[in-house]
Amino acid sequence: MATDVKLPELGEGVTEGELVKWTVKVCDVVKADQTVAEIMTDKATVEVPSPVAGTVKELKFKKGDVIKVESVMLTLSGATYGTATTTAPVASKAASNGHTAPPVATPANNTARSSTMNMSAASGIYPPVADSRVLATPATRRLAREIGVDINEMSGSGLAGRVTREDVISAKGGTASLGSGSGAVSAGSPSMNFPKPAYTTTNAQAEERVDLVGIRKKIAQNLQMSKAIIPHFTLMDEADVTQLVAMRESLKDFAEKNQTKITYLPIVMKALIATMKEFPQFNASIDDAASQIVYKKYFNIGFAADTPNGLVVPVIKNADQKTILEISKEIIDLSKRARDGKLKIDEMKGGTITITNIGSVGGTYATPIINHPEVAILGMYKIQDKPILKADGSIGFIKAMNYTVTADHRLIDGAVAAYFLKSFFSKIQNPGVLMMGMS
Amino acid sequence: MQNFDVVVIGSGPGGYVAAIRCAQLGFKTAIIEREALGGVCLNVGCIPSKAMITATHLLHKAEHDFKTMGLNIKGGIEVDMKKLVSWKQSVCDKMSGGVNQLLKGNSVVVIKGNAEFKNQKELSVKSISGTDSVTAKYFIVATGSRPIEIPGFPFDEKEICSSTGALAFDEIPKRVVVIGGGYIGLEISCYLRKLGTEVTIIEANTSLLSGVVDPECAQVVTRKTERSGIIIKYGAKAKGQKKTKDGYEVTAEINGKDEIFKADKILVTVGRRPNGDQTNLKAAGIAIDERGFVKVDAKRRTNIPHIFAIGDICGQPMLAHKASYEGVMVAEILSGANRVYDAKTVPAVVFTDPEIASAGMTEAECKAKGYNDLLISKFPFAANGRAVSMSETDGFVKMIADKKTHIILGIHIVGPEASNLISEAVLAVEMGARLEDIALSIHPHPTLGETMMEAAEATLGHAIHIIQKPLAGTKPAHA
Repeated sequence: MATDVKLPELGEGVTEGELVKWTVKVCDVVKADQTVAEIMTDKATVEVPSPVAGTVKELKFKKGDVIKVESVMLTLSGATYGTATTTAPVASKAASNGHTAPPVATPANNTARSSTMNMSAASGIYPPVADSRVLATPATRRLAREIGVDINEMSGSGLAGRVTREDVISAKGGTASLGSGSGAVSAGSPSMNFPKPAYTTTNAQAEERVDLVGIRKKIAQNLQMSKAIIPHFTLMDEADVTQLVAMRESLKDFAEKNQTKITYLPIVMKALIATMKEFPQFNASIDDAASQIVYKKYFNIGFAADTPNGLVVPVIKNADQKTILEISKEIIDLSKRARDGKLKIDEMKGGTITITNIGSVGGTYATPIINHPEVAILGMYKIQDKPILKADGSIGFIKAMNYTVTADHRLIDGAVAAYFLKSFFSKIQNPGVLMMGMS
Repeated sequence: MQNFDVVVIGSGPGGYVAAIRCAQLGFKTAIIEREALGGVCLNVGCIPSKAMITATHLLHKAEHDFKTMGLNIKGGIEVDMKKLVSWKQSVCDKMSGGVNQLLKGNSVVVIKGNAEFKNQKELSVKSISGTDSVTAKYFIVATGSRPIEIPGFPFDEKEICSSTGALAFDEIPKRVVVIGGGYIGLEISCYLRKLGTEVTIIEANTSLLSGVVDPECAQVVTRKTERSGIIIKYGAKAKGQKKTKDGYEVTAEINGKDEIFKADKILVTVGRRPNGDQTNLKAAGIAIDERGFVKVDAKRRTNIPHIFAIGDICGQPMLAHKASYEGVMVAEILSGANRVYDAKTVPAVVFTDPEIASAGMTEAECKAKGYNDLLISKFPFAANGRAVSMSETDGFVKMIADKKTHIILGIHIVGPEASNLISEAVLAVEMGARLEDIALSIHPHPTLGETMMEAAEATLGHAIHIIQKPLAGTKPAHA
């Protein structure tokens, strides 16, 4: 008897993928969990395992085809189900604490993911919603099951957490507010309908049209949503980082002995965390659906990374509990894998604030866009030698570095941002202060 | 040998509904029935009992309320029991005929006979015209349940009866002993009493309808039942019967002592058991649990992937409307739809006097599910204009809601037309309605339905037509 193998869910918000290549051919014998294809999504390339063992009978697509999630990719004959396929579909929920970091690269070979995939491949193996405490109308419960959305633990956008039809549809589409109920962050507004004006031209011959797909499309959607929801404002100032530069210079030998390199970023992270502890509204999210502010007791710091595929934001989890040395190593590792497109989806999720570092390239100041549902983004720029007029009237030189703090004006007042930046400067200008906070 | 896509075994409210939906979805469908189309429900259960209850209710009104209303009947009302029973039968025949027409209209093949599995793929159907073999891709077992027989009281359906026999009495029995004060026993007791029968109920528990409905609702019915002259013996265990020259002597043990009750007819209504021992289910390898129910999953699939089971045969509650829901669901699953049994509540209705109906959880069930802070209130029918004008003021609507969210968790009604009022409650529970949703929906005046709105208001602490302490209720969390 032939068994259909469907393209499983590839991650939150991913509805289709392009077939990069088959890793099996017709008549191959595959084991359960063996990779059968590589699929490129708007987030990255994913290896898709077969949930069952069997012999490949037919491959339904060819290289370059775009395959919708849940459509039959290939058929197996003599399929036997493994035991791994019956576990409950918890994985997608576990990943929902925090939210989709915007532009994201993705898991190439991640064993933890594959159980999720198997699960959804077996589609619909989750308990009746009526038995849980979730509120949803019978028609919505049916819709959710039909399109394969487990709403058993979902907290919806309706009154008292009611899961609405729209929530279900957007959960399928990727922007739903999945919440674990225990203060998890919901992702702002579900499906937002932006106008889609056409671009008309009189000079088509001198133009080239390329489909807006993949990571670029995701970047576009996320940033458009963030700009639409969050009233941004940016505060800019110049810090005297002479001591910081000296300190980092002095750490070079130590870093080399520990087989790593210390950049300014981990030190800036530490100063940022120390400042956020004084200003908790910077480590927060707004749950628009529930009309609530969510204050986070953990510090996951995202950093914008430029990659050949576009912007991605890896996240250092619980950065407050890690040493500068540990953070340095993690940044190097994540950055490398970001460039190679090998980041796992989890590694780009759950950020509570983001740092963007344009300094390595150039530019005095920028006005970054907040990584929704975060409420602030810190910009750090190039270090320059700068002459200053000293108190005694003589001319001196300092190392100057520009910083910007861009905040969600709904939650953070201008004066608060100014105090925030001032406090941050008191630390970054005198990094010894950071040691005072070490335990 | 006949071959089908789907064969449904049993034509009760589960089976015939499944067959029609299968046919609508394009399956070549057959349904097998050994007795009358419509099963127990249409022929010896829900429908005939309601016919009897309606008739005796009218009789009761005529005898008790008419005079107050100035409607004087010259001479007494004479009950022609034979005519009543034949009218009741005509109701059943009409319904059963309707099922036949619906099946035919949908091109479902109706096979009359007794089906037994020969193996997983084949049934043998025995009828008066011989034995035929039927095969199908899918089978839906909808073979229902039957009254439980207890030792010492073998049914003859003339004098020692189940509900089936009692519904067919063609003369009014003088004395009836009813063993089992569950909903079936009570419904029949109530209408027999209205016909003038002396009824004694022998109930093993310490209350009627125990564990079936909200205890306060049961209390209202119990009081009215006792007032009507029905004798109820609690904590009583029927031990046996002896035929005497003027009927029967039923022995029951009460508080360790034997008591004797005289009767012309004995009615045994101690529950129903699934027909898992029939249809030779084991030949197909179908798993059955220790109580006789066919084991099924949330899709009502048995351990044999192409065999499904719905209705009484697959588990509690043994109610027609649950069977119909499952019938539609299984048909759609066969056509490829992704469905599971996903209902929050199966409403229960009891046609006693007054009626009881409930949807959602009782207080005890709420507590067991971890809802500890509840809002509970009642609104009496005595404060409802329509109920007063109908001269039916016994009972109330009781609502239970989560205190924090005001989400309605259970609605329990005892009173006139409770059975018709409960559907609003079912919708409320399924939709996850809050008390305000019902309170703010304009209910037409003057109707019994207003009690739903008022009960919601009462639970919020401010019903109009009963006196509540000022601001007794809590303000809604986010109204």
